[in-house]
Amino acid sequence: MSAPNPFGESPRGNVEPILNEVMHALDRLLDDGEATVIDLGRLPFGPGEIEELEGQLGTGEIKARLDALGASRIRETIYPGVWWLDHYNTAGELAGRYIEITRVPDILTSQEADIAAGRARLHELISRSEETALQ
Amino acid sequence: MELLDFARGPALQFGLYAFVIGTVWRILGILLLAAKPDHSAARKAGGFMAALKVIYTRSFTADAFKQDTLYPKILGYLLHIGLFVTVFLFVPHILFFKGLIGLEWPGLPNNIIFFVGVITAGVGVALLVRRLTNPVLKLISNFDDYFSWLVTMAPIITGIIIPIRFGVRYETLLAVHILSVALLLTWLPFGKLAHAFLVFFSRGTTGLVLERRGAKT
Amino acid sequence: MKQKPTLGEVLQAKGVSRRGFLKYCAATASLLALPPAMVPRIAQALEAARRPSVIWLSFQECTGCTESLTRSSSPTLEGLIFDSISLDYHHTLQAASGEAAEAARHAAMEENRGNYLVLVDGSIPLGNPGFSTIAGISNVDMLTETVADAAAVVAIGSCAAFGGIPGANPNPTGAVSVSDLVTDKPVVNVPGCPPIPTVITAVLTQFLTFGQLPDLDHYGRPRAFYGQTIHDRCYRRPFYEQGRFAETFDDEGARKGWCLYKLGCKGPITYNACATVKWNQGTSFPIESGHPCLGCSEPDFWDDGGFYRPVSTARIGGGAAFGTAVAAGAAIGVAAAAMSRRRQQKTIKEG
Ligand code: SF4
Repeated sequence: MSAPNPFGESPRGNVEPILNEVMHALDRLLDDGEATVIDLGRLPFGPGEIEELEGQLGTGEIKARLDALGASRIRETIYPGVWWLDHYNTAGELAGRYIEITRVPDILTSQEADIAAGRARLHELISRSEETALQ
Repeated sequence: MELLDFARGPALQFGLYAFVIGTVWRILGILLLAAKPDHSAARKAGGFMAALKVIYTRSFTADAFKQDTLYPKILGYLLHIGLFVTVFLFVPHILFFKGLIGLEWPGLPNNIIFFVGVITAGVGVALLVRRLTNPVLKLISNFDDYFSWLVTMAPIITGIIIPIRFGVRYETLLAVHILSVALLLTWLPFGKLAHAFLVFFSRGTTGLVLERRGAKT
Repeated sequence: MKQKPTLGEVLQAKGVSRRGFLKYCAATASLLALPPAMVPRIAQALEAARRPSVIWLSFQECTGCTESLTRSSSPTLEGLIFDSISLDYHHTLQAASGEAAEAARHAAMEENRGNYLVLVDGSIPLGNPGFSTIAGISNVDMLTETVADAAAVVAIGSCAAFGGIPGANPNPTGAVSVSDLVTDKPVVNVPGCPPIPTVITAVLTQFLTFGQLPDLDHYGRPRAFYGQTIHDRCYRRPFYEQGRFAETFDDEGARKGWCLYKLGCKGPITYNACATVKWNQGTSFPIESGHPCLGCSEPDFWDDGGFYRPVSTARIGGGAAFGTAVAAGAAIGVAAAAMSRRRQQKTIKEG
């Protein structure tokens, strides 16, 4: 017998289908390089089910924390290519929860617009320090 | 939800009244009938036991007919057991009865009820096919037989459809199911379905008559 | 008319990075129940979106709907209400009152003629205009005047959508819903007592993002949220199928989290998203907390014969009527038998 569940018996209806979905998504990633996002926000989880799913996927080699409009916790699970993403808002409330099956989640890669803006800032910094040097 | 409100409210109310009035009416109307004067001497004194005996023995087929009537007999039993199980052992139905009469009893899981329901519906169809293909049966069947079949099958079939949905909204299906029950209740006391409460009276009467004539029962 | 800034401009001015924006878009896709593959399209649309002007009217209500909405920070990240819409009138939330507030309403209507959204909570009494007034204006007059140039109306909560509790039997104020009065404008109903805050923001976000109202069901409710019953998405459903029910609120079944059908759960006939979107930042929903669904997003839920009466029970009159039915049946039966006896006698006599 498993440990008693404080929320009572739960039928555990969601965990297995999601694990299956993840496996098929891994097939697609390996075969065609196609990435998949599973939005966990609109699934009818029972008490304790999310925790069970999270526990089954575990924590792998990479953990990242993103600070943009609130924190985001992103980690690779023990299954490489399977990522768990928790997005929080500025009030620290969960705003979105996803499983991404991809080589690296898009949001971790530097974005064109941000790179351009950064380059502009750097450019300004350099020209300012050059100006200071000239003076 | 309006249709459901109508079904659960006025329609069902009408059906239940018709059922209660009709049942009391028919039972009393028959019980209070004067017996036909019989001037012959009784072979045996017809007693209550004689009535009970026939009520019991007629639940089985006489040996001579066993072979020929096996198929309809099995179907008949299946239909009635199926009806009993689906009507009285489905938890939402039990709650319905509890609301009416205050009594409650244990039910069966929904998936079992569904399975029994599908079998019962199949049996109902098989019985209709038999009625239509058997020349003798066909000859002696009238509107009452077909209409009674229809109003009995309607709640079974609509009940089975509810969990399947076929894209229709649940409350609409539920309303149609309840409406079909209201129709069944309204018709039951007045057509051949009245055997639901008359069957044992008629068998008992047969027992008394046969006993009087000294027939072997 | 002064041009409102686009959402892209608003976020840029706030120094929000592209990553932050993408996060916002992902949350928006979740919110609108759109597939994650739609995120790029949402990003494109949101960047160019201009904050719609919103006028919020409160009639016969309890302020629960406003409470619900102001608790809705997730998943709009930066509080959609204050960043991406321009709430120009809400007499509970705004600082101005009386004539100043009414002036703000008129100004917003004037400036955004044909483009603004009107949000309504509460039902409208038709019995006597004095039953509910704001700044001396009756609810029905204020509604009629305000929606005249609106793009659309969103009826928030069961009172605005269906009449709700004020409209419950015997409806002393003659309360009606918004759609009873507004027939020449699109009306979106977001019922619930209160509605799920996320659903309120989703309707606004949809309008903001795509400039369109969502796809509606036959009660004018957004299908994305009211397309399935609670029962369809309830995690206790397997218990329902297995016939395992809580009989009381503190029996073994209740503790084990079994199905609440016998305790009057209206989940099977209630269309809402509580079982998936959930409440309090996704914490739980009533059934998860052990209470049956009341069916609050359905018309006339208040008059449905009792919160704790199972769905399958009849909604009919009591025992006295049945006594009468038995008596009536008996009378007809006796009369029929008597008639038949008389006929029999006659036949015998006539030989
Ligand atoms: S608790 Fe309510 S919604 Fe959930 S399965 Fe039971 S009846 Fe359906």
